[in-house]
Amino acid sequence: MKAFEYVSPSSAEVAVKALDGVDAAPLSGGTDLISRMKDLVTSPKRVVYLKDISAIAGVSGDAASGLTIGAETTLAALLSSKVVKESYPALWQAASEVGTPQIKNMATVGGNLCQRPRCWYYRAGFGLLPTKDGKNMVREGDNRYHAIFHTDGDALFVSPSSLAAPLIALGATATILGPKGERTIPVASLYQIPKKADDRELTIAANEIVTKVTVPAAKGKNASYEARQKAAHDWPLVMASVNLDLDGNTVKSASVIVYGVAPVPYRAEAAEKAITGKAVNAESAAAAGDAAVQGAKPLSDNGYKIPLTKSVVKRALLAAVGNRYWEEG
Amino acid sequence: MADLDQKPKVGASRRDFLRGSGIAAATAVITGPAVASLDEAKAAEPEYKVVADTVTLKLQVNGKELSTEIEPRCTLLDTLRNRLDVTGPKRVCDRASCGACTVIIDGATVYSCTTLAIACQGKKVETVESFDTGPTGVPHAFVQHDGLMCGYCTPGFVTACKSLLDRNPNPTLDEVRKGVDGNICRCGTYIGVLEAALAAAKAMKGA
Ligand SMILES: Cc1cc2nc3c(=O)[nH]c(=O)nc-3n(C[C@H](O)[C@H](O)[C@H](O)COP(=O)(O)OP(=O)(O)OC[C@H]3O[C@@H](n4cnc5c(N)ncnc54)[C@H](O)[C@@H]3O)c2cc1C
Ligand code: FES
Ligand code: FES
Repeated sequence: MKAFEYVSPSSAEVAVKALDGVDAAPLSGGTDLISRMKDLVTSPKRVVYLKDISAIAGVSGDAASGLTIGAETTLAALLSSKVVKESYPALWQAASEVGTPQIKNMATVGGNLCQRPRCWYYRAGFGLLPTKDGKNMVREGDNRYHAIFHTDGDALFVSPSSLAAPLIALGATATILGPKGERTIPVASLYQIPKKADDRELTIAANEIVTKVTVPAAKGKNASYEARQKAAHDWPLVMASVNLDLDGNTVKSASVIVYGVAPVPYRAEAAEKAITGKAVNAESAAAAGDAAVQGAKPLSDNGYKIPLTKSVVKRALLAAVGNRYWEEG
Repeated sequence: MADLDQKPKVGASRRDFLRGSGIAAATAVITGPAVASLDEAKAAEPEYKVVADTVTLKLQVNGKELSTEIEPRCTLLDTLRNRLDVTGPKRVCDRASCGACTVIIDGATVYSCTTLAIACQGKKVETVESFDTGPTGVPHAFVQHDGLMCGYCTPGFVTACKSLLDRNPNPTLDEVRKGVDGNICRCGTYIGVLEAALAAAKAMKGA
């Protein structure tokens, strides 16, 4: 890792000043940034340490009024929150599967949302739109973990954050602090599909930080369900986070966000439409799962993500209404 | 040599500013040519302290205060092993992916290979060296239950188990499995590790 200068500011406001005007990177748990620095994928001149800023850490609020989650809250702290576990299971379940116990102790909510893609071409220094001899390296190469939606373009990585999908499904917003002040945007608006080689997949500027995430009051039912190749030390292959607004048993409106299938957290509108107006049962959930893959165009090695997405969406919907049939003997 | 304990004055000192701006690379060369731009430096004084080169780091390791000089880019693992001769934590993947370097900071296990030493100033670091090696300790249970082969992953597993038992003295097998999820053993000693953790839990209760 290249040498850098280090700042450990006492507040988010000072952190933003320290990030401004230099080639700097904010550091939280370091589980993404430090490895990228070791691999020389990222070599900032200055590192600004946010994790000791206690004013932007911690979970507060309740199910009736909504939650405020400081960006520097560790995943372990998030998981120990009773209200998250009981009222926001979509978020709790997704966080509980992230990485390993050590990662959960180190990683923060802000860092998780802003972690950079794990595409192996990006991590090997070829950028987010890796091309060689005019050809897209992902399309031509090993793309087994890559996208199945938005695959007409050159950005074929998948958005890596396990927390983004549930937070988007729950309608959460992120508060961003930068040199020009503070703004609040939907969590979904943190992400974009890069078009040019130097575009980021994050919409926030390098001198801006996420200070907190705000989750609206919990109404209806929510859940996440994911499929993984390995139980730990890895990211989900596909995950679905759903949030259902119910009228009795009937779905009044639904959010279905799928992880692992696109360069941004993917809103499966067709699945949302399919389940709206229905009671969630094995049949309607399966139909919504089938609808979720409408328009998917897999690459050469990741066609398996089609049936996986169908099942994962189906199971997330059923889990939301308390049907976890796959856990019964 | 900068000292990390030194509180950043509101507006870092001229020294820190100069160091941060890279004008003066070595402390010894602080005066001289830089004086000319003192006014300019003062005007631009930021409210934070920039550490740009070597600093003296004080770490609480296993109850002792240890001190060494580091650069901001030194990881906790390399600092412990190469500068403080605390060699229990091992370096295997060096990328937060295997657990061999696991240490306990302020009660929580972390990968020391992916933690900056400079961020640990003032924090309590516990490594495998400090654990009870007597008959009710986790290391003893590993020996009794064949929880190791080559031993390279072992300090990390012992640390993960010890931390788990500190928080949960009565773990189920499944909880032990989850507790050591962050550690990988290339030799495949998992069965022994799980047995050792459960046996240590029993031994600690005097059973
Ligand atoms: C073995 C392994 C398995 C993993 N499995 C999963 C998984 O299943 N699901 C998953 O989601 N992740 C997984 N991860 C990734 C891990 O969760 C992320 O690296 C972590 O959440 C990032 O948080 P951090 O605090 O460590 O961020 P850092 O590494 O400190 O930062 C990550 C990025 O965000 C920027 N940043 C940090 N804080 C802020 C902020 N407040 N505002 C703006 N930018 C910021 C940094 O500059 C950096 O670019 C895994 C990682 C490993 C090593
Ligand atoms: S050496 Fe730190 S996790 Fe592998
Ligand atoms: S004993 Fe050899 S790696 Fe675990």
